[in-house]
Amino acid sequence: MSDIKDVPPNTLTLFGIIGGLVGIYLSPYFPTAGALGAMCAVVWGADAVRRVAKYGLGTGVPSIGQLALGMGIIAAMFSLALTRSVTLAGPILALITASIIGLIIGWLAQNVIKMKIPVMIRGMTEIAAAGVLIILGYSATVAGNYVFAGIIPKVFDNGVILAIFWVGTLAMAHPFNACLGPDERQKRLLYLAVSTGAITMTLMGIAALMTLGVSGVYTIIVGIILWLISYKKFWDEVYKDVASVLGTGLLPKTEG
Amino acid sequence: MVSLLDPTMLTNIFLIAISGTLICIAVHFIPVGGAPAAMAQATGIGTGTVELAAGSGLVGLLTASHMYAGEPNAPVSLVLAAGAMGSMIMMASVGIACGIMYAYGVGVPFASAQVKRDPITGARQDLYVSKGTQGHGVPTVCFVSGLIGAALGGIGGALIYYVLVGIYTPLITTSAAAVAGVFTVAVFYVNSVIPSYGVAGTIEGFHDPKFRRVLPKDAVTSFVVSLLSGIIAVMIAGGMV
Repeated sequence: MSDIKDVPPNTLTLFGIIGGLVGIYLSPYFPTAGALGAMCAVVWGADAVRRVAKYGLGTGVPSIGQLALGMGIIAAMFSLALTRSVTLAGPILALITASIIGLIIGWLAQNVIKMKIPVMIRGMTEIAAAGVLIILGYSATVAGNYVFAGIIPKVFDNGVILAIFWVGTLAMAHPFNACLGPDERQKRLLYLAVSTGAITMTLMGIAALMTLGVSGVYTIIVGIILWLISYKKFWDEVYKDVASVLGTGLLPKTEG
Repeated sequence: MVSLLDPTMLTNIFLIAISGTLICIAVHFIPVGGAPAAMAQATGIGTGTVELAAGSGLVGLLTASHMYAGEPNAPVSLVLAAGAMGSMIMMASVGIACGIMYAYGVGVPFASAQVKRDPITGARQDLYVSKGTQGHGVPTVCFVSGLIGAALGGIGGALIYYVLVGIYTPLITTSAAAVAGVFTVAVFYVNSVIPSYGVAGTIEGFHDPKFRRVLPKDAVTSFVVSLLSGIIAVMIAGGMV
């Protein structure tokens, strides 16, 4: 499979950061944009998980997703609370804070716990940053904005944040967990990441129906459409990869 | 404005750091076998470290917060005891359910390959370990170790919650419990994933040689990360004013 070129990590990083931030900043005007931004972060995060978890974490892929979203919630709450007067700076500060926490945990994992994963520090930084964008993006879709005073009553008090935590974790960790193995390919994984992100978006649409009313309907519809498209694409990729495994032909009956 | 250098705030930060470290230590006591245990090829409960530690810890958080909500004047010791009890009940239920399945479903005797005799019951272990496995089932020592771990985890989670509710309630009255609870969950997850990387998937409990080998470096890592979380938690309070 070496002839197939992967999308380089830097491209996906830019895609995740820019897509995520733009989505979050557009959410006060069009709440569905928050979830679209979070989906960009899911795709980026899933690829970062792929690069780190390839080395074998010894404890299952989902654990790194839980770590990411755990760091993400801490960073998101901190940044939004601190920027109450300058709300525009919130998401950017959250991204920076999460990256710093991820960098520290990555450094400790590499040098104190000695995990021997060469991409650990960069991977953990990226995963934490993607985690915070996932939290903020989906929260913004449910709350209709990204300010502390708006997110607390509409996302924290009613417990939607726990759904974001869990479903967001799965959206990020499931693609690699499902695709890992010797025939794992990035393209298939990325389509699956889009599809898990879209399912999460649909679920957040249901939550937004409760908090925002009609804009939740748009989120649900866009989420279902994106899910159907990306799942079909994933399905096609699976068939293509299966064909390349089966296409090697049967074993010869007699030794030549 | 909440000052970081205020003695009460410094105490709170330190308490959160201690709680995070407690959770990290708790994970080492819990007999996690991971995928090998699920196939009865290693001693312990057949699921991941994070799932077990966080699962029991979150039940502890529920019992502690419920107790604290019903009795707001309760002393800290009662809230911590409620947390420890909830976690221990959860861990005991999982241990018993697992034991029934291993004994009557899979049909393996409970034995650990790490020790010759069970440190608690004194029963011989090595005679019952199947060839090519690391032991199977949940022997008494693992069960007791799991209960100790669950108690520590429950206390850690309850302490973070208690400290944070104390900080946030004067600032955001009605939402304080939600914010404190979610922050506790986040710190709990971070602190149960870090040691699970240290133990690399499986550990039997305090009698496992791995326990002494990995505990110090995991505890140091958790302490640093929890201290950072504590500082952030207090700074969030500063932003609420």
